[in-house]
Amino acid sequence: MNAVVLIDTLLLLLVTATAVAIIEVRSLYASSILTGIYSLLMALVWVNMHSMDVSFTEAAVGGGISTILLIGTLVHVGREEKPIKKRLHVPALIFTALTGAALIYGTLDMPRFGDPAAPIHHYRVPEMMAQTVGFVNGTPGKQKPPEGFDVERYRRFDGRVTGPIPDDPKDTAWRERSILQTEGLIVPQVRAAHEPHAEPGHHLHPPDDFNGHVPNSVTSLLAAYRGYDTMFETTVIFTAGVSLILLLRRPRREGYLQPGAVMSDQVILRVVAKLSIPFILLFGFYVITHGELGPGGGFQGGVVLATAFILYALIFGRAALYRVVPPPVSDMLTGVGVLIYSGTGAVCMLLGGKFLDYSMLNPALPGDGESLGMTLVEYGVGITVSMVMLTIFNQLAEERST
Amino acid sequence: MTGALGIYNYWIYVLLMMIGLYGVIAKPNLIKQAIALGLFQTGIFLYYISMAVIDGGTAPVWTTILDGAQKYEGPYDNPLPHVLILTAIVVSVSVLAVALALIINIKRTYGTIEYDEIEAMDQADKRADYQRGQVVDAADDVEHKLEGHHHA
Repeated sequence: MNAVVLIDTLLLLLVTATAVAIIEVRSLYASSILTGIYSLLMALVWVNMHSMDVSFTEAAVGGGISTILLIGTLVHVGREEKPIKKRLHVPALIFTALTGAALIYGTLDMPRFGDPAAPIHHYRVPEMMAQTVGFVNGTPGKQKPPEGFDVERYRRFDGRVTGPIPDDPKDTAWRERSILQTEGLIVPQVRAAHEPHAEPGHHLHPPDDFNGHVPNSVTSLLAAYRGYDTMFETTVIFTAGVSLILLLRRPRREGYLQPGAVMSDQVILRVVAKLSIPFILLFGFYVITHGELGPGGGFQGGVVLATAFILYALIFGRAALYRVVPPPVSDMLTGVGVLIYSGTGAVCMLLGGKFLDYSMLNPALPGDGESLGMTLVEYGVGITVSMVMLTIFNQLAEERST
Repeated sequence: MTGALGIYNYWIYVLLMMIGLYGVIAKPNLIKQAIALGLFQTGIFLYYISMAVIDGGTAPVWTTILDGAQKYEGPYDNPLPHVLILTAIVVSVSVLAVALALIINIKRTYGTIEYDEIEAMDQADKRADYQRGQVVDAADDVEHKLEGHHHA
């Protein structure tokens, strides 16, 4: 048993204990705080499983925003659960035990944890890791490199690939000996287990900054391989913001503001908030901008940006926040983010590519084009996520209980 | 890793999902139900991320490209489940937010967020409609609450 498994085992036991406590504790306030603890433990579990982006999201969303939203709701609905006579709900217990037993029976023939032979580590993984999304792959009009492009230099990766180069760019046997092998970008055991890929064009990435690739393959998949999915998930978040406005916003004639508690008379809170807010904002923008280089991206960065505004509202009151970000502005920006995302896709179409085909943004250096497109898209996601989170917080805090 | 420890993560995912499911069924409080639904979701997240792990692997961010001197030959964990789950987490907080907004509206309309009480009020309302204004003895206290909130 290695250290990773040991930590994993302990963390998951803690997570399960916290989950039981969340359900069984009677105070809803305690339950909300435990939810935050649960999310932070989960974030540790994700780090232990090398899933940095998910961990980042869980820490920002679960540990930060969800807990604030839950506590904001408890202000209106009361913080105690009604006492229940029977602590144990026997029919529910029997039902969940049976369902759980069936699911555990289903796990018995699952591949073992971390097994390299598991199907998930083979199906399309070389393509995903090599990031062959977008460029050349079967797109008509992109089979030929653009005007004035040094094909020889391009296919030799700036001289790093030596030896004879076949005339046919679809020569897949040659590709296996090409730069991908030299640079070791394909999981070795997968490469050994697979026939050479039928897909042409792996070796056609030009010698630009990142060797035609984006270092964080999670962001690459997010914005390119699953670009449509991410776009519509941004739309889902936008829809959530619209729903909150429709469900809870008071008519404008009643005014946005009801008097609420302000903590700005607390010197320590005021000073610490004013000191930390610029750094939180800077960190948020850093996370969005470096989405394709390291862990992070639009979703995480957007949530971090939102926490800066929420902190400001908590300390100085929502009247002060509305002077900085008036509700009409934040409402508009939720839509602007989705527009930036889909607009980037539309620009790629206007330049002659497919929707969200970022390499069209810089045809001479498609890798740079992909980087640029992903950064634009991440900013779109970041703007929508931050403004929707802010709107959700405002609406949940705004409604005084009647 | 072999033996039972090899599928330990999958058992924990089942356990978390079932704790969430138990909460949704057994707890009449709507806030508790929303939180329990979140637990159910994290169980599924754990399932996905557990599948992505590969023995001896690391995070799917290439250091090779940024620093040509060091060549890491892999293996990397599968990035696709990570992508699916990181968007799912943000969508789950949106779901939670809409649920909380609906709960606030329910509190305003019914004056309670306990599911059984809401159900009793709805039944009483239905019965009152059916009997055309006759006093429903079974739901006296509920009638009293309805005077305050529902028919206001």
